[in-house]
Amino acid sequence: MELFDTATVLARVLTTGVVMSIEKSDRELPGLERLLTKQTGRARAVLVNSRTAALHAALAGQGIGHGDTVALPEPDAATGRFLNWLGVSVEGRGPAAFDYVSLDSANADQLAELTRGSSAPALVVDLTGLGFGPAAAVLTDDDGVWARAERLKIFGAYDLRTMWTQEEADGSLVPGVQFNYRLSPLVAACVRMALTQAARPATPTGARS
Amino acid sequence: MITDFPAAPLPLPDPAELDAELAALGGGAMIPKASRRTLFPVITKEDVFNLMLAQRQAPEKVVADFAEAYRSYVGAAYALPTASGTSSLHMALVGAGVQPGDEVIVPAFTFIATAQAVVAAHAIPVFVDIDPATYCMDPKAAAAAITDRTRALMPVHVHGLPADVPALRALADRHGIALVEDASHAHSAKVGDQVAGSLGDAAGQSLMADKNFPLGGEGGIAFFAAEESYDRARAYLEQHGIDYGMSWVAGAFGASQLKRLPYYDEIRARNAALLGEALRETGLFTPPHVPAGHVHAYNMYRTTLHPEAVGLGDIPVFAVKEAVHELLVAEGVPAREWQNTPIPCHLPFQHRDGFGNGYPFTLNPGAVRDYRPEDFPVTLGMLDSTLVLCRELRSPVEYERILRYADAFRKVARRPDAIRKLVESRDYQRPYDKAARLG
Repeated sequence: MELFDTATVLARVLTTGVVMSIEKSDRELPGLERLLTKQTGRARAVLVNSRTAALHAALAGQGIGHGDTVALPEPDAATGRFLNWLGVSVEGRGPAAFDYVSLDSANADQLAELTRGSSAPALVVDLTGLGFGPAAAVLTDDDGVWARAERLKIFGAYDLRTMWTQEEADGSLVPGVQFNYRLSPLVAACVRMALTQAARPATPTGARS
Repeated sequence: MITDFPAAPLPLPDPAELDAELAALGGGAMIPKASRRTLFPVITKEDVFNLMLAQRQAPEKVVADFAEAYRSYVGAAYALPTASGTSSLHMALVGAGVQPGDEVIVPAFTFIATAQAVVAAHAIPVFVDIDPATYCMDPKAAAAAITDRTRALMPVHVHGLPADVPALRALADRHGIALVEDASHAHSAKVGDQVAGSLGDAAGQSLMADKNFPLGGEGGIAFFAAEESYDRARAYLEQHGIDYGMSWVAGAFGASQLKRLPYYDEIRARNAALLGEALRETGLFTPPHVPAGHVHAYNMYRTTLHPEAVGLGDIPVFAVKEAVHELLVAEGVPAREWQNTPIPCHLPFQHRDGFGNGYPFTLNPGAVRDYRPEDFPVTLGMLDSTLVLCRELRSPVEYERILRYADAFRKVARRPDAIRKLVESRDYQRPYDKAARLG
């Protein structure tokens, strides 16, 4: 992403005056969610502030927690340490608990291709490599995974937007530990612009030729 | 920036408005509907420019420069920038030496993040009641909760008023345990000349964009008094592969805002003093108590109701509060309940699933309690009898607005008849009999 473009995005969001993730009028986080669901074909997106937050959300979303075992093919050392901290054991056999993709400037245009074969209940997309700071997302088709992951990332058990009440209609969604894993709208806006610019157009416009 | 300005200027108050009919009963509101929105944080052209400059620097340098500038402002020895207030509190606890299964004493009145950060550290939050004057952790209650497995006291400088740090420091020293501040509301707050965040062995602080000192969205920072604590926190992140890193975008915005923090602090203090003077005149309301030598940061402004002072002593105070709440909101003052239930009675601490299968609560069953609201009578009394202004008192609340807020409180306090009538026509519940509110 060009410096000029980053500057434009930052200035645009700052001019709206909305830089906080729980503002009802924020449009940047929903915008990035829409882009990611569109590109991956998944129904729901959970935006979080780091790769490990996404790993945590992907597991917690499936009700996988301390003392449980998951199948994951060859997790890297840092992932292994993090899962150990969560109290989740890893074994190589069986369907993976989540698929994982890391994006950077070299492959930011390939999200759709990179995730086309993904079949795990949750898809973790690390967006940190795009250059705006730690950022990631969990994509899923499962409303239950989405709802539990949202409750992990924010201190609101019922309504993400308002954080008002701890009353739960569905007892299975009552949160355990909760973190603030929220992503900043400014970061989301930059990530969205980077992904949008990187995506190859379906047909050449010819505008620059 | 267009966002520096409200949509319309407020007129200065007219004394005649005080005697007019209450807005809830058909009169005009002290703050017209079109003028009720307040803007926060303030974003200036300098903020935009500084973010432009930051994108040409190494991200690590932007974050490190911000952390160093704010560490210096606070006067703490070491600082670790993080992605959120919760992660900063987690790191503060780890740095202070809290181990899995340890007990950490926290106040029952705070934001839920205080206690969830203890769980994040794989430790057990032990809840105690608050002081009836300051609404911060009661040192006597904390003393009574200490056991052989207590590793830290974690007072919260709630709403921006520093807790009784001298008493808690003495208590911690007597038992050889750590003092960890939750300074999330208390940017620039002080005890004597010492700024909150530099008072304990470690501290965590939220820097989200709704705080007195906002970053560009979400952020936090942990402070440490000793290098050993700082190193322990950093090693913990490495050991467990945890990414709590702060975005350079948030850090650059914070570095820019930091330059204006003292100015905002002064405006907030001026507005709090002006409002406090008006409240004292009413009899019905009193402003926040500020012990001698303490500087309150007024991230929130909690006023206490005294129904007996206006002839309403025969009505339960929570019902008077609810009626006053309705009347103030109708006048355009966004008074609210910030929390309505002791934190230990919120679902995560009733169910205690933690990271799953009850961990870490299973590490120390002796510390686990089935808390009931009645276990925290001072907290309940405060919830019954107080109302809060939140964002509405943060700078730059214009002079006309704070004068109008003051007049709205005066206007309502002059009408005990209307308060009584409203109570008689409603079926108000005690705050904690309703679903718990987080904020």
